Amino acid sequence: MAYLAELGALTGELIAAVTAIPEDQRARLDAYRESAVRSLRHHKFGQTNQFDVDDRLRGYEEHFRVVNREALADALSKRLGALKPHHNQWTPEVLHFILELSDQPAQKSRLSD
Amino acid sequence: MPPPSDERSEKQAAAQQAVDILHEISTILNCHLDRRTLSICISMIENGVNPEALATVVKELRSKGQQHLEQAEPVPAPAAAARRR
Repeated sequence: MAYLAELGALTGELIAAVTAIPEDQRARLDAYRESAVRSLRHHKFGQTNQFDVDDRLRGYEEHFRVVNREALADALSKRLGALKPHHNQWTPEVLHFILELSDQPAQKSRLSD
Repeated sequence: MPPPSDERSEKQAAAQQAVDILHEISTILNCHLDRRTLSICISMIENGVNPEALATVVKELRSKGQQHLEQAEPVPAPAAAARRR
């Protein structure tokens, strides 16, 4: 029960952060939260494979170098190195999440961001 | 040995630093995530949420947020705009 309450609260915060729907639209926010919690609890996705995550990140780094985005490749390599001392049991899953949301970085990423 | 409060603040600082680095990685990979959203997502993953399911939910919420914006401020269609002229 505590888990569900915590998940519901975090999902509410996520909806507020992503959709920017005002608080006065309570019915709509509640419907989105229920739907999101259902999707998070009942899904068909497997567990994160740490080696697959590492491969995908290395693949991005190589791809950036191939398309002459050396600075982007160096920036990624530097951040992954800096992350090593902070590595914990959740790091591969967080990186997996980031990889799933990645949107054509070789074409669209700007280091000035 | 440092007092417990020092130890706690050191742990908090290290956690903040880790989130900063993860946010920079998400920016390099063009994930369209701000720091607050990423922090919430990290908390959800630490609570056992599947990362792929979470990414799917974030994409759906972005789409719903976009629909909400369009309903709130409808963009005039070119034909309707031309008729008004």
